[in-house]
Amino acid sequence: MKLLQLPPEELNRQLAGAGVWMRTGPFSLKIQSRIPSVAQGLAELYGQFEVRSMREAFADFHVSVNPPSGLRGWLKPQATFSFDGSQPFKPLPRDQAFPMLEWGLNWCVSTQAHQFLIIHAAVVEKNGLAAILPAPPGSGKSTLTAGLAVSGWRLLSDELTLISRKTGLIHPLPRPVSLKNASIDVIRQFSPDSFINRASHDTIKGTVAHMRPPRESVRRQHETASPGWVLFPRWVPGAPTRLKPRSKAQTFMFLAQNAFNYSHLGADGFRVGTNLIDQVSCYDFEYSDLHEAIAAFDELASAAPNA
Amino acid sequence: MTHPASSVQRLLKQWGDEAVIFDQASGDTHYLKPFTLAVYQACCEHPGYNEEELAGVLATRIGVSITPDLHEWTQTTLDSLHTIGLLESA
Repeated sequence: MKLLQLPPEELNRQLAGAGVWMRTGPFSLKIQSRIPSVAQGLAELYGQFEVRSMREAFADFHVSVNPPSGLRGWLKPQATFSFDGSQPFKPLPRDQAFPMLEWGLNWCVSTQAHQFLIIHAAVVEKNGLAAILPAPPGSGKSTLTAGLAVSGWRLLSDELTLISRKTGLIHPLPRPVSLKNASIDVIRQFSPDSFINRASHDTIKGTVAHMRPPRESVRRQHETASPGWVLFPRWVPGAPTRLKPRSKAQTFMFLAQNAFNYSHLGADGFRVGTNLIDQVSCYDFEYSDLHEAIAAFDELASAAPNA
Repeated sequence: MTHPASSVQRLLKQWGDEAVIFDQASGDTHYLKPFTLAVYQACCEHPGYNEEELAGVLATRIGVSITPDLHEWTQTTLDSLHTIGLLESA
């Protein structure tokens, strides 16, 4: 059953009670929350995801977002994220409860899922090949990822590239795309039909909103992809679209430094990472116009050997 | 005299004239730019060579004359490789 098939009152009831079981990519989640904006965020953004009765299913991650207990919750409305009973973060204003759930889920995956080498990078797919987009904040990575995801590329993830240690294949985790500040309006204008939820203001990342993942990306969330490219996007105002080959060794170093668990995996992280780099073409990618950027990606995909 | 630290503890992956190396003992990963890789490989192939002998090997390998600059770069690179634990003194 899909989450959108749950009547809103039933979703609210389950969420506030024992919680809702949901499948996202290779992970199952149990989410519990008494905060209405969390229920609203799930209903708006996770409608296509599979849900089950809590009694039937095992969950990898048990998480909750709730008002903190005690006087604090009365003085200033806040939200606290819990994972398996522990609270890894300080409370945030309650207006940020849904983004907090998203950040908390990313934290769960990046600190627990060591069956993968996990790189802090967006990843999209076309014709079976994945384009990995690692980049620092402000580089236009999320904007480009959202643009690609609504233009024929399959969203695998906007934050976490999961590389199987067993197969070297990339596993999708097509949760909502986090858009920040100016990129929210850029995507609203670029794709008026895409749903973007209510923005949360004054978060540690500025103004944040989430774009609903495309239905096709969710439907194919168990379909892995082979590594095809690593592209470092950089949005430069007025710059022409430019793809410039880049050193494989330096690309490996960047990925290793931006992986959540490279150090934890030791020699196996090195093996998985170098195998990945063997399979990909590496580029620096500069752009200012989103349409041109997507056309350049399409050209890259058409030129790939298995296109 | 210089030779590589026990090679069983390290994994090297080369792409073109650059490489990355993982030191299993320390858990550190290092990037070796082309000249550094050439020096490291010369040390692996000729354990026990001193800086002067290694500069001769490098001059042949990369097709340059033996100059004071080459000696200086070789010594500087050997020092760096010692510092990061990829080489040890005999």
